[in-house]
Amino acid sequence: MDKSINFQPEAAVRVESTLCARFRCTKSQCAACTVVCPVPGAVLLSDDGAAITAACVGCGACVSACPNGALRPLEDDARLVERIRERIRPGAVFRIACNRAQGEADLVLPCLARLTEALVLEPIRAGAPQVVLMEPGCSSCGLVKAAPQWEKVMAFADALCTTAGLASERVVRLRVARGKAAETRRSAQAPNPRRAMFRAIAERWKASAEADIAPVGEAEAVPAEVFRDIVQRHSANPKRVDLLQVLTNLPGAKVASKVVMAAAVPLAQLTVDSCCVGCNVCETLCPVGALEHRIEDGTYRLELDAARCTGCRVCEVACYQQAMHLQETVDLSVLFEPRRITLVSATQRTCRGCQESFLDDTAEFCPACRVSGERRDAIARRFFIGGNQND
Amino acid sequence: MTERSPIIPRDVIDRSFAKQGPKQYTLWVDLEHCIGCNACTMACKAENNTPVGVDFNRVIEIEEGDFRDAQKTPNVGVTFVPMPCMHCGRPACQAACPVGAITKRKEDGIVLINKDKCIGCRYCAWACPYGAPQFNAEARVMEKCTLCVHRLEKGEQPACVTTCPAKVRFFGELNELTPLIREKRARSVNIAVVGADTKPSVQYTK
Repeated sequence: MDKSINFQPEAAVRVESTLCARFRCTKSQCAACTVVCPVPGAVLLSDDGAAITAACVGCGACVSACPNGALRPLEDDARLVERIRERIRPGAVFRIACNRAQGEADLVLPCLARLTEALVLEPIRAGAPQVVLMEPGCSSCGLVKAAPQWEKVMAFADALCTTAGLASERVVRLRVARGKAAETRRSAQAPNPRRAMFRAIAERWKASAEADIAPVGEAEAVPAEVFRDIVQRHSANPKRVDLLQVLTNLPGAKVASKVVMAAAVPLAQLTVDSCCVGCNVCETLCPVGALEHRIEDGTYRLELDAARCTGCRVCEVACYQQAMHLQETVDLSVLFEPRRITLVSATQRTCRGCQESFLDDTAEFCPACRVSGERRDAIARRFFIGGNQND
Repeated sequence: MTERSPIIPRDVIDRSFAKQGPKQYTLWVDLEHCIGCNACTMACKAENNTPVGVDFNRVIEIEEGDFRDAQKTPNVGVTFVPMPCMHCGRPACQAACPVGAITKRKEDGIVLINKDKCIGCRYCAWACPYGAPQFNAEARVMEKCTLCVHRLEKGEQPACVTTCPAKVRFFGELNELTPLIREKRARSVNIAVVGADTKPSVQYTK
């Protein structure tokens, strides 16, 4: 680890499990946080979702990488937006630097990978003609593993600007020499870094004390909420909420369609084929609540709120019928014009066996009842008459 | 009936039981002496207090033979195959569960559904070749045979085993059941389906 990196202790990260794809679906292969995390063992993935260990240095790369916004830094985006707003000078280029970059910048971060799309676009929303990311060359940095993340965010932010009809190269990178970045403090309210550090320590200490005391009192009164109840809830993805807010307020935006590869952006274009049986598992497990079903006059409709979908692939891996498919390309304009896409529209019937609903035009029994009864009889008969087929 | 039963050479039995895997509690059902009284089904229902339509153990009836063929002596018969959860070595239900609610316990090989995690999607019922997981519409969770873990913890045998009036159900550890089966029956096979490859543990003899 590069000794020149001096992290502020306030940048610790907490996990909101209900938004974590790994927590909601054990089949999920999402590893967005571990892929970018520069410190080995700082993020652990298990069936209970992501967990941040004491090894975390607080660079914030995982915060930026998590499509669902499950990772929350202590200095959250709202506070960074505040800092950006008080330093912005209308008409002037807004410079964001990592603290190893030589020169003056409007905002200095421990690592550029902390930047989310909403943060990069915030100066443009506030009137800045260009956002410059000052990087001293990541290859020699101890956090080099996080470098692709800010490059990805930069490319995505630039693509969003193009989609909004703004001139290209509104978000650019600037290679600078290594050194120590200085912040141009425009506001008298800019916090004294030392005081800010102590305040952050105090806040963390307070938060840790609360966390220690709270569960003891609650555990006796009410039992912990069980997983099956937790997944019925869908909390809003804070990152996407911020991004949509920034995009709707972009000055001079004239939205045009722009199709990009879906793998590079936290978006997805979903399609559902005729295998869908209307089990609603995708709706239940979707971390960000992008899917919703409606039943009108015996017709089942599954709708996608395209602006909320982050392409985390939970619905795709969870579907037993493998009816859900992610397209290779996605249109960025869905973020500007939120639209609901009907994925499935089919007749819903009630099973004569289990009284549960399913999608089919003709069958009387649902697929579960149909297969389990028939298969059990068939397997017993085959065993008895034909002997064990495996022997 | 006997002429249709395949003769399984002894080495096949030996091979299937030879490997000493992890500990696996299981059942042995002697189909030759099963009278199809469904006492196991009822004992299971009473023990686990399951609602109507939810049965952890079902007895399949297989009828054989034909009266219409005048040339042959009428040779008809019926066999009953009680089918509980097979507590498979590679459970298809576990693989299908999207939320990881189904686990196979390492200490005794029993496949259990965590009702706090289960979201009632019935994927396990679709995946299971034996129709073992059952949907409880009242609680909206899946339930299935647990080999009566609550009784095992008290040192008792599963309800279906103690109830069986014909004494055709036996409970034990898979490797310890082998000598018992060998002692009573020369031939033994287990139910498996082509391609399913779930390694069912419940043993049947006929």
